[in-house]
Amino acid sequence: MIEKPIIDELCRIAGRENVLTAKEELTAYSYDATNLWRHLPDAVVLPHTSEEVARILRLASEKRIPLTPRGGGTNVSGGSIPVRGGIVLVTTRMNRIIEVNRTNLSATVEPGVVLQDFQAALAREGLFFPPDPQSFAGCTMGGVVAENSGGPSCLKYGVTKQYVLGLEVVTADGRILKLGGVTPKNRTGYELMMLFVGSEGTLGVITKINLRVLPAPKASQTIVAVFGDVATAGETVTDIIASSILPAKVEFVDNWTFDKFRGLLPDSSLKRAQGILLIQVDGLPETVAAEAKEVVRLCQRRASEVRVAQDKAEADRYWQARKAHFSDISSRAPTIVNEDVCVPREHIAEFIRLSQERARYYDVPLSFAGHVGDGNFHPVVLTDSRNREHYTRAVKCVEEIIDIALSLGGVLSGEHGIGLEKQRFLKKAMDPAAIELMKKIKDVLDPHHILNPGKIWED
Amino acid sequence: MAREPFPQLEKFRADLERCTKCGFCMSSCPIYQEERLESSVARGKIMLIRELLAGNLSLSNGMADKLNRCTLCRTCAQNCPAQTEVPAVITAARADKVAKKGLSFPYSFIFRWLLPRRRLFGRTVRLFSWLERLLFPRASGTLRHLPFFLTALGKGRHIPQVAPEFLRESVPEVSPPPQGVPVRYTVGYFSGCMTDFVFPGLGKKIISFLNRQGVTVILPESQGCCGAPVFLGAGDLATGRRLADANARAFEGLDYVITDCATCASAMKDYPRFLADTKEREESYRSFAMKIRDITEFLVDIMKLPPEAFRASPEFHGKTVTWHEPCHLGRYLGVKEQPRRILKALKDIKYVEMPEADRCCGMAGTFSIHFYELSRKIAAKKVAAITATGADIVVTGCPGCQVQLADSLALQGSNTRVMHIMELLE
Ligand SMILES: Cc1cc2nc3c(=O)[nH]c(=O)nc-3n(C[C@H](O)[C@H](O)[C@H](O)COP(=O)(O)OP(=O)(O)OC[C@H]3O[C@@H](n4cnc5c(N)ncnc54)[C@H](O)[C@@H]3O)c2cc1C
Repeated sequence: MIEKPIIDELCRIAGRENVLTAKEELTAYSYDATNLWRHLPDAVVLPHTSEEVARILRLASEKRIPLTPRGGGTNVSGGSIPVRGGIVLVTTRMNRIIEVNRTNLSATVEPGVVLQDFQAALAREGLFFPPDPQSFAGCTMGGVVAENSGGPSCLKYGVTKQYVLGLEVVTADGRILKLGGVTPKNRTGYELMMLFVGSEGTLGVITKINLRVLPAPKASQTIVAVFGDVATAGETVTDIIASSILPAKVEFVDNWTFDKFRGLLPDSSLKRAQGILLIQVDGLPETVAAEAKEVVRLCQRRASEVRVAQDKAEADRYWQARKAHFSDISSRAPTIVNEDVCVPREHIAEFIRLSQERARYYDVPLSFAGHVGDGNFHPVVLTDSRNREHYTRAVKCVEEIIDIALSLGGVLSGEHGIGLEKQRFLKKAMDPAAIELMKKIKDVLDPHHILNPGKIWED
Repeated sequence: MAREPFPQLEKFRADLERCTKCGFCMSSCPIYQEERLESSVARGKIMLIRELLAGNLSLSNGMADKLNRCTLCRTCAQNCPAQTEVPAVITAARADKVAKKGLSFPYSFIFRWLLPRRRLFGRTVRLFSWLERLLFPRASGTLRHLPFFLTALGKGRHIPQVAPEFLRESVPEVSPPPQGVPVRYTVGYFSGCMTDFVFPGLGKKIISFLNRQGVTVILPESQGCCGAPVFLGAGDLATGRRLADANARAFEGLDYVITDCATCASAMKDYPRFLADTKEREESYRSFAMKIRDITEFLVDIMKLPPEAFRASPEFHGKTVTWHEPCHLGRYLGVKEQPRRILKALKDIKYVEMPEADRCCGMAGTFSIHFYELSRKIAAKKVAAITATGADIVVTGCPGCQVQLADSLALQGSNTRVMHIMELLE
């Protein structure tokens, strides 16, 4: 519980209409896109300016009130859940696109701008921001930076950290820090800015973001390939990457979520198939045509069916189907355990085979999808947390899948972050000395541990 | 907290459980765009309703307020990969709320008593239009949706100019084609409250257009309000049934019932889903719903009129025209192409598509009374889109939207005229 004088002070700082305390309002900030994590905050505040954020943080530090930053609340790691109660600081009302600069190929935004709105503003100028988490209709730029998000296009274009030029960050004690700038190169001192990229709201609140943006590709082509077996799809990915073609996206879904492709691909080929690869090449029209041809040739070696989208409308339909994957798989079982490992691309097929073997051993349904082009998988085990016995097997299976990824030289989380969901695996996925160093950095920046407490590592 | 029963919500439990909180509903929700609150958007509302059913939240005033903050525009459902029918869930929640808490005055009076009595309603409307002239400056030409006439007065807002003669006072119950034109169809015409009381000219235009195409038009005296504000807006199912029964009966024996109001049409198509509580009602509502066609849908899909059949009235020649797609027409009835086909067929006007033509205008009946400021903010975005086209005229397919567009355009000092698409035609 937060006492009334503190609520009053929050109201003085942010305005009464930007402070929420009613139970139904708090309930709306008790969850994110994960399945099982829930916790009510004591108050929600929606500031409009960096100065307001600074005053709120100063108050929280002084009174030792836990404070969890939140953007769109679309993360899938429990990152924005206020597990210790306290204040949820929501950035959605700091949503101005301050500048889109074509000459400088840069843009400046406030953290609450929704990615899709940002993309629309860039598109009007012939520009784009490549990282494309599939939650773009809800996630905010602050969340994208705080999670260092990626998406399908990251195969060719890299993840968010490759696009952050400068940040304004408010630290726990209410200082407003300006880090980096708007130039693509900057070698001034330590890369402090990078500390906040992927920091999951534990080190400071991001209040302004300067981003590098790119000219939008002139042309693109989408290729769909259907495979009789998941691992051969994986081998095809390895072939494509090794062929010196760099598609913008190589995405994979398995037959758990074929429903969305029904009507787009013939039933007869879906019936026998186990996996679909969705590939997009982009660039100049001539290169796109040549690369698409080569991709088709490589797919035809192992695929039972290969199609090239005839126009943008057809391509959009395939990508819509891909975008629906998360929701589709989530609705297939009462509980899903959704992982986010990333493996070196030479081991894609091996990772799939070994994981499938584990799923058979534990007798649990396992679905694969993900940004296979960069080796980033979302293996999903379908279960029901109310059925203890099944759930225990599911969790065991997931743990072993993580072990497999790590033993192949992969990482625990490709893009979703650690949050609450993956903290129990952190010890085996990260050098203990590095964990110690993280904690020391945390102590320096947030000595009273008010910022998003309880996240990333286990206390 | 003891768990209370929520009979209407129970019907949509599958929808409630389908939501996976993915957030695809967020950026396009007109309420979220203004408020930027998690409780504005479908995902948040679904979570609140789940908590209500679980007994962790109660039907407080705050909760009721959250349920009311929705235009039912259905953009969320359209974007939902899990196909969660959010507007149905919200409607059901409102109905359960009304069953428990009742309607507040003056809604209780208007919905339960006045709306079902068509003639009396008409007279009241006229009385108030007379009062309006006494109390308010005229001229500005701003309008509000009629069923909210009385409450609107309370808010000191400009009220519609009520027509001196209502549609059903000025045309016969049966209008056959002129001499020499063979009869191709006989259809019923459901004229909603707006056309009847405020835009009777539109009704006459539709009837004469249809007559010239060989259609006998029947305007049953016994039809009433479609019930949209009653059972969809306010969740009063009992009164909704009285209206639905009357309308289904009024059009018995006809193959088609045409409408000029997308809201009325989609509300009447929703009778089976929300109001059928017996087998007989289910059957009667279903067969009624199957007959309903938007006027543009009837002209293009059923009559298959060729492009030459459509001509713009000479007074509009040379004008630039844009189309606002009502939520109820596009996302509810799936009528998207038909009005555009008609507009493209008009040789003497220039038709331009506005950006996001299908975006909600923020009217949504009761919503615009409860949340006038919010409704105006949503409308401001629509006005910007209309203005961007440079159109002289914006046409649409729903008198409710028409009222909102006229109000908002006038407020922003725009000269763009607002009309029903059928008013463009010769
Ligand atoms: C359907 C679906 C698909 C997804 N696809 C992808 C994908 O392809 N790639 C991917 O990388 N992720 C994906 N995600 C995960 C998620 O959407 C992203 O991590 C997204 O960037 C989170 O943004 P948000 O605004 O919702 O952040 P939130 O969920 O609100 O917060 C995420 C974390 O960032 C912190 N945070 C938020 N804003 C700030 C700020 N201003 N300052 C400091 N900390 C802050 C929070 O404390 C929290 O720890 C997906 C999620 C869903 C539901």
